[in-house]
Amino acid sequence: MQSIFSGEWERKRRRRRILVFSLLAILIFIVLLFSMNSGVTPLGPLEVLKTLFGFGDSNQNLVLFQFRLPRIVLALLVGAALAVSGCVLQGISRNSLADPGILGITTGAGLFVVLYISFFSSIDAASPYLLPVFALVGGLLAAALIYILAYDRQLGLVPMRMILTGIAVAAGLNALMTVLMLRLQPEQFDFVAIWLAGRIYGSTWPYVYSFLPWFIILSIFIYYRWRALDTLTFGEQMAKGLGLRVEKERLLLTFASVALAASAVSVSGGIGFVGLIAPHIARRLIGPNHALALPASALLGGLLLLFADTLGRTIIQPSEIHAGIVVAVIGAPYFLYLLARSNV
Amino acid sequence: MIETDQLHIGYDQQTIVNDLNIEIPSGKITALVGANGSGKSTILKALSRLMKPSKGVVYLNGSSIHSQKTKELAKQMAILPQNPEAPQGLTVTELVTYGRAPHQRGFGSLKAHDKEMIGWAIEITGMREFANRPIDHLSGGQRQRAWIAMALAQETETLFLDEPTTFLDMAHQMEVLNILEKLNVQEHRTIVMVVHDLNHASRYAHHIVAIKHGNVVKTGTPHEVMEAGIIEKVFGIKSDIIKDPRSGMPLCLPYNLCEEQAASPIFGS
Repeated sequence: MQSIFSGEWERKRRRRRILVFSLLAILIFIVLLFSMNSGVTPLGPLEVLKTLFGFGDSNQNLVLFQFRLPRIVLALLVGAALAVSGCVLQGISRNSLADPGILGITTGAGLFVVLYISFFSSIDAASPYLLPVFALVGGLLAAALIYILAYDRQLGLVPMRMILTGIAVAAGLNALMTVLMLRLQPEQFDFVAIWLAGRIYGSTWPYVYSFLPWFIILSIFIYYRWRALDTLTFGEQMAKGLGLRVEKERLLLTFASVALAASAVSVSGGIGFVGLIAPHIARRLIGPNHALALPASALLGGLLLLFADTLGRTIIQPSEIHAGIVVAVIGAPYFLYLLARSNV
Repeated sequence: MIETDQLHIGYDQQTIVNDLNIEIPSGKITALVGANGSGKSTILKALSRLMKPSKGVVYLNGSSIHSQKTKELAKQMAILPQNPEAPQGLTVTELVTYGRAPHQRGFGSLKAHDKEMIGWAIEITGMREFANRPIDHLSGGQRQRAWIAMALAQETETLFLDEPTTFLDMAHQMEVLNILEKLNVQEHRTIVMVVHDLNHASRYAHHIVAIKHGNVVKTGTPHEVMEAGIIEKVFGIKSDIIKDPRSGMPLCLPYNLCEEQAASPIFGS
């Protein structure tokens, strides 16, 4: 009996899992180092290490601790959050194309962030700690709108209908944001443009602190439900038969994933596709089990966004391409590829 | 024992089952039979709490299933719906492990007893040699056995199956039914299934419930239900009932449609 759990095959599988996770950790470390090295003020690898351990001069300290590190940390966290959110949305809707960006949830969050900012003279005058709250309201409204429009009483949430509705909602909200832009002061106008392009604008520590508690609490909340997520992928009837309170779990998980994506884009701008690509690659590498697919998605999402942000700010120095645009350049073809493959 | 008391089931405004009173005996194999769209699958779903009745009560061993926690019920009854789907790449062992879900909580890992039940379920369904294969690489018959193993790992007294043999060839149909029979004989499990093939119902079930338009036409042993008159009423076909020389059970040999049935529209299932 025991051999089902401890055979040669199981050992092979365990080795593969360890390999995938170590590889991801190594890749993140490499991009992290590169990201700390590069920028307008170049810091050599040795200088970075010296500064990290407290032996840097004031200029190096300023560049590393005040300019680069908060942005790096935020890129990792936001990427991980969007990936986990996408992973959950894909799991509960049994739809490999679900992504908070494509569904317009991040745009809904962005709209409310913009509304909040427009009360103040500039982004710096607004408290960063309220950003995630407003974003959450916008994200939930967008999610509710999609649900109401796409839900069919007989068929439930049909995957393709949900995606199409989401794209329409996202387009509508984007248009609304553009209309709003026309009525704003120049400085606020700049902010909306930056948000839409997906620049990680929250590049100081207060933004990290404002997002971090959301990230930690929601991630743990979601990870605790990995078994429910697994069961939901078997379909509603099977999940019910296995003793899952389907409606309740689905509601809680939707809420958590929307909150995670919304709070993430409230400090980073509208970054799409991370929630689509990262979970998809994670499942390919590690299998459908959410106990592993969730952390793998998080690592991949963090890696992807840090890579995109680092590339964006180094490739045409001293100017920069916003992370959202870099991700879209990679993500849009990937989305089309998934769309062509799927038979929903 | 499972009983229903004046069960009404319907989607939206449309009533599918009206005033249903049936009893499912414990420790027996019960087959629900009826034409397409007769409501037999709907009744199975209501009995297994997948569908909420608009009126009436389902009792499991004397207590209403509607007032019990779904997780507690999942320790007493397992359900295998029609055409279940598994995510790509999931192996048989992983699938069967989910059968233990009602016995686990939160971050908890598999206990020795969980592993024992998973091993047993894989063994009794003959899936040992496929234990580490992905479900999507298996044949239809093997896949169905894997799902049955999952339901068995749930360690329940009652097992509901919705057309477990549809889409399988004859050998695989028999294989699945033999497993169910073995479970009933050796483990005294109560098995309730929707069966398409009347002769399978007669050969394997102790108790048959014949359903038409959401109403019970006749319940009883295969000998009681398998009568030309009843079959004509339930399925709209004329048939001869003969004795199976091997098992001694009645066999139905259809030879024509009934006049009025041939003209009336057939509802989708």
